[in-house]
Amino acid sequence: MHEATMSFKARAEEALANPTLKIAIDRTTGTAERKRAVAMTQFPQFDAARERGKRIKDHVIANLDHYLLEFERNAIASGAKVHWARTAEEASQIVVALCKQAGAKRVTRVKSMLGEEIGLPHALDEAGIERVETDLAEHIVQLGGDRPSHIVWPSMHRTREQVSEMFKRLHRAPHQEETIEAMVDSARRELRDKFLTADVAISGANFLLADTGATCTVTNEGNAELTTTPPRVHIVTAGIEKLVPSMGHAIAMLRLLVRSATGADVTQYTTFHCGPKQPGDRDGPEEFHIVLVDNGRTRMLREGMKEMLRCIRCGACMNHCVVFRQLGGHVYGGTYPGPMGAVLTPVFDGLEKSRDLPHACTMNGKCQEVCPVAIPLPTLLRGWRDRSWREGLEPATVRFGLGIHTFVASRPRLYRLGTAIAIRVMRLFSRGGLVKGMPGLGAWTAYREFPAPAKRTFMEMYKDQEKGQ
Amino acid sequence: MSARETILDAVRSGLGNTAVDPAAVRRDADALLQDLPSIRPALLADGLVDAFIARVTSPKVAATAECIASASELPAAVGRYLEAFGLPALVALQPAAPLQALDWSGFELHDRVAPDETIAIGVARWGIAETGSLVFHSGADTPILANFLPLHHLVMVRADTILPFLDDYAAATAGQRPPRNVNIVTGASGTTDIEGSLVLGAHGPRFLHVVIVGTPDSSE
Ligand code: SF4
Repeated sequence: MHEATMSFKARAEEALANPTLKIAIDRTTGTAERKRAVAMTQFPQFDAARERGKRIKDHVIANLDHYLLEFERNAIASGAKVHWARTAEEASQIVVALCKQAGAKRVTRVKSMLGEEIGLPHALDEAGIERVETDLAEHIVQLGGDRPSHIVWPSMHRTREQVSEMFKRLHRAPHQEETIEAMVDSARRELRDKFLTADVAISGANFLLADTGATCTVTNEGNAELTTTPPRVHIVTAGIEKLVPSMGHAIAMLRLLVRSATGADVTQYTTFHCGPKQPGDRDGPEEFHIVLVDNGRTRMLREGMKEMLRCIRCGACMNHCVVFRQLGGHVYGGTYPGPMGAVLTPVFDGLEKSRDLPHACTMNGKCQEVCPVAIPLPTLLRGWRDRSWREGLEPATVRFGLGIHTFVASRPRLYRLGTAIAIRVMRLFSRGGLVKGMPGLGAWTAYREFPAPAKRTFMEMYKDQEKGQ
Repeated sequence: MSARETILDAVRSGLGNTAVDPAAVRRDADALLQDLPSIRPALLADGLVDAFIARVTSPKVAATAECIASASELPAAVGRYLEAFGLPALVALQPAAPLQALDWSGFELHDRVAPDETIAIGVARWGIAETGSLVFHSGADTPILANFLPLHHLVMVRADTILPFLDDYAAATAGQRPPRNVNIVTGASGTTDIEGSLVLGAHGPRFLHVVIVGTPDSSE
């Protein structure tokens, strides 16, 4: 069964039963978490920078119509053509039509989450245009015929052994040695001539600069520039929330984005693309198109979710999410996984289809804590839960269970008694600090160990404190 | 209604249809870039060149650097580099006047960078001390591919073009017509896409060597 048509629960069970997935997730998210932590100790200005980043994004959103028009005006003046798309389908159609107009046989793509969101890979394949993914991770995803599982490391779900096997089977001159270096080299050889012979390049944008009409991409591999320079046509697709007033504002956001994503201070390559090839330029495309995409963003503005439009797609919330780290990204079923995905997917796919996502959360608040633009992710998730409840989308068993929860939770003494009992029961199953094989946690503890609860509940300790112990 | 009108209308109604005063928006935007020291990291050293070199050679950036007193010493520096790697004196030279003017006798030069070019020599317009970055603008003497195709990239940058912060680059070019591409290059190409472990030379250069021309801070 295709994972998109499976229920969340079925997908989660499948993920839990996958013996290599947890290893693969741990290797990448663990590294990301450690590197971010080190970067934070070297950037004591983070809190102030984050507050500023949040204000920059809020300022842009509050004046979005103004900035969209300013950007459009300046982009046109730079020689770009600006297109507008209300929906994912409209956006893909515009891109495919531009490719056909250019007589494109082969297009190269720079990884862009918006491209995934609007279904561009599929639309290009349907149109019979050869699509070459140039980001190493997207290349791995393309070879594996599956979907990205993380917004920064799309092939995070693959172990090195799996990548090696695929490269050996599908590359023209694959690696001989079993090292990651040799595998990266194999991809370098495989993609080199494709960069140079493509007819159209498609990229996303991390930022759109209103005062010049430039777009900004950040990569570590250098594939964005190798992709967007040789072909005759370069198409950028970007969500309307990507605007910033100027390069200075983009720089302030970049400091937050990169540290939060990978723990580096900047990416190896930060490039501002402004219009097509200029007179005298040695290289560059003749045509430069920008497709501005709404696809639910104005609805988020209307429906009380405008904080989510701050998101700069850094991935920190998923790297620090206990649920994501157990299940990986595919379980979320949409383009965006993890906490931010659980907020966004109901916008794109409808709450009815994705109502499980806002529930796949422990509300530990870690995501909001690490978010570089301080998005209140747990509050937004709770908003979806409430709405799902109001709209009667919750199945009867949950409604009944939650009814009891509300009854008990609104009576503090009963609630404390209840949690104290539950936690004591969990302690019974704990061995050396980990809960294994506890009934009711079923599928979870069959494959995972659950951290055992503290010896005493917080309320127990708090009461002791108050008694002066 | 066109998609453009629909989206702009939806934005306006989502925002509550309040009128926008462009002058006020501008003031607010400028205010968001006040007090930059509180939102950016400090430099790694007092002198700009020292701070720049400290970044370039830090484990995070992992490039190499050396200083020469004048540009005329660049060919000798390139010669030493080639020797250290056991490479032939066959180099792609960026068609930029400050490089073309030097004495390259003993080298075989070309200005078109081949898809599998081993080594290219370029010149950066600016260096950034904050991040150890080099800044390039596309143009008649700067093919963008020259920064990305070679395996080894050797870049000359003048000490007096090293700026403290990325913001200083933005300020230095504000109001000018931007080039098609501004490349801010920080270290060699890398990837962490396979199990999060860093490998250099993903698609772009595997080695970046920075040659700083002019007076180092210590002798100022
Ligand atoms: S919600 Fe915050 S932490 Fe998550 S991807 Fe967006 S900006 Fe990053």
